[in-house]
Amino acid sequence: MTLLAALNAADATREVMWNISHSWLMYVLLVPTMLIAGYGVYRQVQKWRSGQPAARFDRPAERIKRVVKNVLLQQATLRDRFAGVYHFLLFWGMITLTMATIVVMIHHDFHIDIMRGRFYLYFQSLFVDVLGVLAMIGVAMLAVRRWLLRPKKLVYTDESTWLLILLFVILGTGFLLEGWRIAATNDPWGDWSPVGIVVSKTSLAVAGVETLKSVHFLTWWFHLALVFGLIAWAPYTKLLHVLTAPLNIYTANLDHPGGTLKQIDFEAAQSFGINSLEQFTWKDLLDLDACTECGRCTSVCPANTVGKQLSPRDIILDLQGLLDRSDLASLKAQGHGERPDEYEPAFPIIGTTDNLATEALFECTTCAACVEICPVSIEQMPKIVDLRRFQVMEQAEFPQQMQDAVSSLEERGHPFKGTQLSRVDWAAGMDFPTIEDIESPEVLLWVGCGGALVDRNQRSTRALANLLKKANVKFAILGREETCTGDPARRIGNEFLFETLATQNIETLKTHNIKHVLTSCPHCFNTFRNEYPKLGGEFEVMHHTTYLAKLIGEGRLKLDAQAAQKIVFHDPCYLGRHNGITDAPRKLLQQVSSQPLAEMEMHGRQSFCCGGGGGMSFVDEPADQRVNQERARQALATDAETVAVGCPFCTTMMEDGINTLKGDRKINVQDIAEVMWEAISSEAR
Amino acid sequence: MKILVCLKQILDPEIPPRDFTINRETHQAIQGSANLVTNIFCENALETALQLRERSPGEITALTFGPASAEDSLRKALALKADQACLVEDDPATSHNSATTALVLAAAIRKLGEFDLIMVGREAGDWGAGQTGGLLAEQLGLPYVAFVDHIESAGDGVTLRRQTELGWEKVEAHLPLVVSITNSEENVPRIPKTRDIMMSARKSVTSWKLSDLGLTDDEVKSNGEALEVVDLYLPEKKSDCDFIEGDSIDEKIDEFAKRLASIVQSA
Amino acid sequence: MKSIVVCLMPGAKFDKPTAGLLAAARGLDGQLTVIVPGTVGDDTTASLAGQADSVIVCEAAGLSEYQPELVLGVLQLVCSDLNPDIVLLAGDTYSQELTPRLAGRLGGVSAGDAQSLKLENDNLRVTRSVYGGKATAVVELRSKPAVVWVRARSFAPAAARDSAGSIEKRIVELAGEAAKSVDATKIVERHEESTGTVRLEDATLIVAGGRGLGGPEPFEELKKLAVVMGAQQAASRAACDAGWVPVQWQVGQTGKKVAPELYVAVAISGASQHLMGIADAKIVTAINTDRDAPIFKHCQFGLVEDYKAVVGPLTERLKALLS
Repeated sequence: MTLLAALNAADATREVMWNISHSWLMYVLLVPTMLIAGYGVYRQVQKWRSGQPAARFDRPAERIKRVVKNVLLQQATLRDRFAGVYHFLLFWGMITLTMATIVVMIHHDFHIDIMRGRFYLYFQSLFVDVLGVLAMIGVAMLAVRRWLLRPKKLVYTDESTWLLILLFVILGTGFLLEGWRIAATNDPWGDWSPVGIVVSKTSLAVAGVETLKSVHFLTWWFHLALVFGLIAWAPYTKLLHVLTAPLNIYTANLDHPGGTLKQIDFEAAQSFGINSLEQFTWKDLLDLDACTECGRCTSVCPANTVGKQLSPRDIILDLQGLLDRSDLASLKAQGHGERPDEYEPAFPIIGTTDNLATEALFECTTCAACVEICPVSIEQMPKIVDLRRFQVMEQAEFPQQMQDAVSSLEERGHPFKGTQLSRVDWAAGMDFPTIEDIESPEVLLWVGCGGALVDRNQRSTRALANLLKKANVKFAILGREETCTGDPARRIGNEFLFETLATQNIETLKTHNIKHVLTSCPHCFNTFRNEYPKLGGEFEVMHHTTYLAKLIGEGRLKLDAQAAQKIVFHDPCYLGRHNGITDAPRKLLQQVSSQPLAEMEMHGRQSFCCGGGGGMSFVDEPADQRVNQERARQALATDAETVAVGCPFCTTMMEDGINTLKGDRKINVQDIAEVMWEAISSEAR
Repeated sequence: MKILVCLKQILDPEIPPRDFTINRETHQAIQGSANLVTNIFCENALETALQLRERSPGEITALTFGPASAEDSLRKALALKADQACLVEDDPATSHNSATTALVLAAAIRKLGEFDLIMVGREAGDWGAGQTGGLLAEQLGLPYVAFVDHIESAGDGVTLRRQTELGWEKVEAHLPLVVSITNSEENVPRIPKTRDIMMSARKSVTSWKLSDLGLTDDEVKSNGEALEVVDLYLPEKKSDCDFIEGDSIDEKIDEFAKRLASIVQSA
Repeated sequence: MKSIVVCLMPGAKFDKPTAGLLAAARGLDGQLTVIVPGTVGDDTTASLAGQADSVIVCEAAGLSEYQPELVLGVLQLVCSDLNPDIVLLAGDTYSQELTPRLAGRLGGVSAGDAQSLKLENDNLRVTRSVYGGKATAVVELRSKPAVVWVRARSFAPAAARDSAGSIEKRIVELAGEAAKSVDATKIVERHEESTGTVRLEDATLIVAGGRGLGGPEPFEELKKLAVVMGAQQAASRAACDAGWVPVQWQVGQTGKKVAPELYVAVAISGASQHLMGIADAKIVTAINTDRDAPIFKHCQFGLVEDYKAVVGPLTERLKALLS
């Protein structure tokens, strides 16, 4: 210590390449290492570049913000606590160690004397040591999770095991090397490396300086070999995500997930929908290489949760496998060419694995829970829709009941084959104008097929109309002129039909000079808000929860009764997750309920689908694999007496599930409009 | 095998009751906002033909008799890869019955050439007469089997499966033959591929007038007059449920039983 | 006015449809002849004779069973001799198959699914349901003969006439074209799907149970009721899903679409998907504890009671009423 005191901290440094001879060999080895790694990256980049164009470099400020949040701060990753923490430790640990190595390179190879003084002590010694320890803790947590906790959502591969061992050994040998150098050189600054000094003292207790020098020499080369090995191998493993994840997050879709489906140019498209890798956009292909196999998407997938085949993670991984085995780049060189009469996919996808089988693809409710939860911004759901499109439009092979819904949409503009109701049956006995009677309504009430053509939902629609009348809103309905917005057609995969219906609706609304649209169906809402603008239909659309909140806020609608029952709100996917509207319905409910709202564990943007999206409400699920029953169980786990919903599809799905499972319990399912209407006393009505 | 499938375009049978209206003067249903669709049993017939063609080589011709709008049914058949399509166009104002339809179809079929198998739907979802197939067979002087749901080619002829009230029968038949097709789990109509729908718009449809078939309007008209709709009305439908009331549950059950019994007896 | 009734009677029994068919014919004035193409027992012949002026039992090679071309040839021959104004057939598969062809052969005009018959200016007027039951049409057949198959069960059987008609056995021999075409088609196998049961789609009477029954046992109770009524049993999706009854029983949007004369819904609330399956039922009635259950909106009449208290006594009452 006396020696140390005599030294000037400003001169603090250490000898780089101490105890190492033949260091030229390192530079020689670096060449093949970088070549191998570089080729690995280059190969993938070429493959991505074979994809179709996608505009994902606009709005740079938003993108940088996204990178800061989800890369630097690891916000999305941290949503899973355990995994989030170790990843955070490992992420910052590895970055710090890499930076330390770069400092060494600048100092030693570029002869810029920066590894000196306080910077050397605070950063290069102390900080790096601490972060190294944190990275070790991260690796330990990783090992605990992979070998002890063994969550179902992980993929257990040899690759993962070896990567984990490699990281551990590299970190460990790093500390050993540091300790032995401190010991052998009697480094006066050794105390600034807390782990190093411990290793140093322990080692000196069992071995002499000369021994440590020889072990150090061998270990140094071993450490170097492992590091170079890892660098060379990484692009060929899931560690590629170190590059792809930030890139993928930067090029993510910035819109609501509700607006992510691609448009098809029916005149030019080689195939309608996708069944060959090169038909994906470069971003889709980049997605595949960004996957870290974390499995969060599959763990929140409603279809997978109830035991179905569908697994977004495995779809991505199987596609990644196809991408690995494909020679996409050579195809690019040949050019994509014109579409022949019978389209033959160059790199077929559908049916190549169980996860990519038609059955699995058509289990998706398009709820986008997978997209929402993915820490690296992979878009699983839109890819599923791309594949569905191929089965629907090119093959015409998809579940019969979805075919029935599509045929019904084609022939009568609604998906409810066999309904006995007309568009205006719900309004029987109610007195209000259709669009023919009223010139410029304040708002057009877009009832939607779900609200008009299903017996159960007539009640909700009537409640909403009554509320509007009560608030003296000058509204009108299209009546028989209304047709489906096209949402089910689009989600099932019939983009052609979607465009036909959408174009027709936009035309109708323009003819009537409609500016403001109100709807109680989040699917219609999403289509109006995110999809019609791309087809030239700009309307201001509001979901009834937002609109009713507005009416109350403006004092136009007064509630004078309170609901005594405990209410829980089930967020419709197309309202909450797809469009970010989660507060309005809760505020409304809180106003009418005398008790605080109950919440299910999965709610808001992390809500769990009722099972009715993506055309699934037209399909009979196997009795033991019903998504609506799973969600009903989650609702029944609260102490609610009313499950409030804001979507006609959710209403019927949830009611069916609740009625099946409720037993003797008093609990019902109501649309928010019904709850609100009940909050107006009969005298005031 | 040369197959001819007759298609009929009808008013969408799924039109909800509240939207269904009729003209009591002309004895016709009013289309209103409803669509025109291909009769489902005709679609079953086309599906049966397509499946038959998948198993053994053949050529499918779709034929319809109706207003110009009926071309849509033919376009759909072409989208499903029927080889050719023929429309016998008539005046949409005149309504036709099974007898005139059979007469016209027979004339068109003779003009189109020789066919091995002529398929019709068992009945149409509008008038549901179920007569055209049998009448057509007689017009053409061919044998006829009704309610067929499956066809296999067998040697020179075909083996058919047809539904009966209590089960099914296997029928061996020589060609040429007329069959009426009913629905089964097997012949659920497929839906066309989008690309084929787009392509079908470019295919040609043979279009004939009655005069092209050597038929005069009077001839068709006099044939049609043999069967005339003299009235068409909407049956009265009680809207409200009549709840059975009574002083005791026994009284209610008694009344309920009586009502059931009278219906059971008349059924 | 000369009428013919063609009795195909594959079961060779004087059954309810046959009785209804004869009653329909007797409702029209004039001479009534019954033609039976094939052999039947003497009892049956006698019963037929009790309803008509004359009965002709045809015999021909191979006529012991129904073959389309043969029977058509025989009928053409026998009918044209009689020069009838009206020919009536029942609603079975074979009758439906023959009706238009016989009209074609006899130079007449045909119609099917007649629910009632009426003479107007010597022409037969047929009332039938059209547009899937949404409308009713009256069609006049102005060519002779008018060949019509009737919804035989819609007609109440009539008592035998005071004097029985004549009975003639006629041996028929086909010649020329008719004889040549006999072999054009041949029914080689006939299968009945588990005797006595009718496909749900074709059932006239249906008793269905739903979620409210709470288990498979109450379906046994309902079975007794169904047996007494002569009805088929069916169920809602909930009951099928629960495994209480086979999935083949399921009526609804995704199950079977039925069109019975009477549909009795027991403990079925009436979810829309179920209602879509019974849209074509003529009369719907329900037993349910909930007066507001949607099913009642589709009922002509209904009983608001717990099925547990109703089904047993109801079965007994119906047994007494229907015997």
